[in-house]
Amino acid sequence: MRTSPTAPDRTRPPAPGSLRPFHLPEIASARLAGGLPLRFIPDRRIPLVSGVLVLATGEAGVPVEQAGLAGLAGDALLSGTRHRSGVELAEALEARGTSFRVSTGWDASTVAFTCTAERLPETLALLAEVVREPAFPADEVERLRRQRLAALAQRRADPSDLADDVADAVLYPEGHPWARGILGTEASVTALEPGALAGWAEAALRPGGGGLVLAGDLSLEEAEARVAEHFGDWGGAPPSPPPLPEVVLPTPRRISLRDRAGAVQSELRIVHPGPPRNTPDFAALQVANAVLGGSFTSRLNLNLRERHGFTYGARSGFTFRRRGGEFTFSTAVGTEVTGAALRETRSEMTAFVADGPTEEETARARDYLAGVFPLRMETAAQLASRVAELLSLGLPDDTHHRYRDEIRGVTRDAAHAAIRTHLDPDRAPVVLVADGAVVRSELEALDLGPVEAA
Amino acid sequence: MLRILAERHRLDNGLTVVLSPDPAVPVVAVNLWYGVGSKHERPGRTGFAHLFEHMMFQGSKHVPKNRHFELVERAGGSLNATTWFDRTNYFETLPSHHLELALWLESDRMGHFLEALTPETLENQQGVVLNERKERYENQPYGDWDERMLRHLWPPEHAYHHTVIGEARDIAAATLDDVADFFRTFYVPNNAVLTLAGDLEPGPALEAVTRWFGDIPRGEAVPAVPGVVDPGPWVEGTPRETVEADVPLPRVYLGARIPSFADPDFPAVDLATSILGDGRASRLYRRLVRERKIARDAVSFAFPLVHGRTMMLSWITGYPGADPAELEAALVAEVEGLADVTPAEVDRARALSETRFLSQVAKLSTRADLLSMNQLLFGDAERLNTEVERLRAVTADDVRRVAHAFFRPENRALVTYLPREDRG
Repeated sequence: MRTSPTAPDRTRPPAPGSLRPFHLPEIASARLAGGLPLRFIPDRRIPLVSGVLVLATGEAGVPVEQAGLAGLAGDALLSGTRHRSGVELAEALEARGTSFRVSTGWDASTVAFTCTAERLPETLALLAEVVREPAFPADEVERLRRQRLAALAQRRADPSDLADDVADAVLYPEGHPWARGILGTEASVTALEPGALAGWAEAALRPGGGGLVLAGDLSLEEAEARVAEHFGDWGGAPPSPPPLPEVVLPTPRRISLRDRAGAVQSELRIVHPGPPRNTPDFAALQVANAVLGGSFTSRLNLNLRERHGFTYGARSGFTFRRRGGEFTFSTAVGTEVTGAALRETRSEMTAFVADGPTEEETARARDYLAGVFPLRMETAAQLASRVAELLSLGLPDDTHHRYRDEIRGVTRDAAHAAIRTHLDPDRAPVVLVADGAVVRSELEALDLGPVEAA
Repeated sequence: MLRILAERHRLDNGLTVVLSPDPAVPVVAVNLWYGVGSKHERPGRTGFAHLFEHMMFQGSKHVPKNRHFELVERAGGSLNATTWFDRTNYFETLPSHHLELALWLESDRMGHFLEALTPETLENQQGVVLNERKERYENQPYGDWDERMLRHLWPPEHAYHHTVIGEARDIAAATLDDVADFFRTFYVPNNAVLTLAGDLEPGPALEAVTRWFGDIPRGEAVPAVPGVVDPGPWVEGTPRETVEADVPLPRVYLGARIPSFADPDFPAVDLATSILGDGRASRLYRRLVRERKIARDAVSFAFPLVHGRTMMLSWITGYPGADPAELEAALVAEVEGLADVTPAEVDRARALSETRFLSQVAKLSTRADLLSMNQLLFGDAERLNTEVERLRAVTADDVRRVAHAFFRPENRALVTYLPREDRG
């Protein structure tokens, strides 16, 4: 076989080039007469427009005995308006080649769509109708309630979802909205009065504190004019949610065990309160977490998956919310290696918080985070989502523009200081969904705290 | 007006290279289409293209086994591959400064796969594929629907007669020589299109591709697809089959032969299929699911295949105890009823197709795949720029005409699944 004189060295993976520049388009900002903020990013490459309406309301504003109300109201927005039934609405959206996706969060909720540029005016008209004139037909609300109850039952049956829910109940005090899952509870959803939805929507579905994001093939002037047609006179603001109760970690730290007799795998969680999104330590924590458990080559993944073969994947992460946040470590391991896996996890976490990352690990994490960041910002739809997140979290418009530089500016010492400040492995509750008969004694032998039934 | 740029080049060894720069984000999508699919398989050797796709992740001379996924994941990227009737594709999306990693991985397995091929890896992957066949086709409710339908829609001498996954005995009987032979015949640069889309400069990108792929020798011309190309426009005779199986609910599948994806009438047939059963305003959903409440769900789609003809598939699932004859009659009536579609229905189906298509173009990974497809099947990567025009040129008259021509009794096959009577 003749080889070319410029045959490359195939014996090892080629080294990457240097990180390529990323020029995020400017975000234009405006405000409609009634108070709805507008954010706009042009993208003329493809004749599509993506929009996200952000509403500064969510499940955190709902009293615990009505948990699920905001989400159910959100789901039911597509069930009908004062002018058309749910069926007619679905047909109207399809006729324009689009659909609405509603998502209810703790502090913010969204309605998102993508349509061709020429169908934007009609799509915005339907969006206004859905959000400003929902009808909440009783039979549809009932159907959605049943669906929500079925989803809750499914969560109990899925060991991973169950572990997440138990961890929430352990970490947060009773009365804290995050102690329950975002869907609500079986008791609260069963007790929901369909009549309550209209009252909720009237007060909560208001522009103040939120905004409409448009990204795509149009100009700022067109965007303002189109939105003003249907939202110009839309005013008011949702009520502020009550303050969040304080989260105090119990002492001594305990291991909470939800028994699943005969389980082949143990779901393991380690949780800890975390800072809100606007923490000055955000970039440093991202870098530190990437090294600890936030990438394939992280300490936790390499230990638990590559070295010991305990699991297909182990990850840690900070969830940064508008008000507060949390740290979660999560994995599923074979029942018979549960004690060993927890021991290794604790050992990695403790060593990491004590000593911090190495220079090399920090450099690799910076490169990785800066490298993957643009992967979620390719399309106008993704851009609209990313800007909507800024509105939901109350962050300045240039947050994403600064991200890569901030990440690349994180030093080894800063990453170490940040993780030491925000994570205390000795106090972080441990949660397991596992076969108690098999694992209880090995958990007790680890001497990490009392093992309690969850 | 869509104006995706695509420069085309051909290396000395026949590799077609499509370069589509887009500087918006520092991301690059790498996409490789080999002109080999299940249609190239001979009787007794079905399932080879798909088995081969598995083999290609088992390492090549310089890339250790299982390292493909890990290396791309470490770089923050994603990757996968799929096998289909007409082709096999391999693709990854990465931060653009990792482009050479992708070129190394793809060129090493294009040029140096055989050196890493061992009896152990073959046996191992035969086991994996046989398991996949069991899980997704044999043990899944309705899992073998396509196997049954294809046998009715295509004569044995047509390449679409057998499934992509292939026959279990053929997969099990594959020898090392069979696999090596398959590789040497089809996995050659002159049978491949490599597309790069995203943050790249054409000059340096072409230089990099030439550096990594240039020393792979050209292969022989790829043999023609065996058998008959065009078995005619109609199935003839309305073959039907009833299957009692471990399924929870009765379901009726209907298939019809339609003009190939490359035929000027395909867009009209595609819209007809969408009017029939795509979305909640479609005829099947509106009339059978919502109004008459005899079906729980309805599906309808056309396969974009190019070997002579292609097919439309549709199915509806009934409620427990439903009368299969009533279900079949209802589905057939809607299929035949497409001879009277309205312009509003055509507009709706067109709007859905447009948004979907443009969303695929917006994303680099699917853009690269569309470019490779248009280059390999049509010799023109930039053909994607006129897709919307082709959709907009379809009139309600066109849709009625093709519905009348192809959605008729002489051109359908029916497969009905019934829950097995409980004999316990």
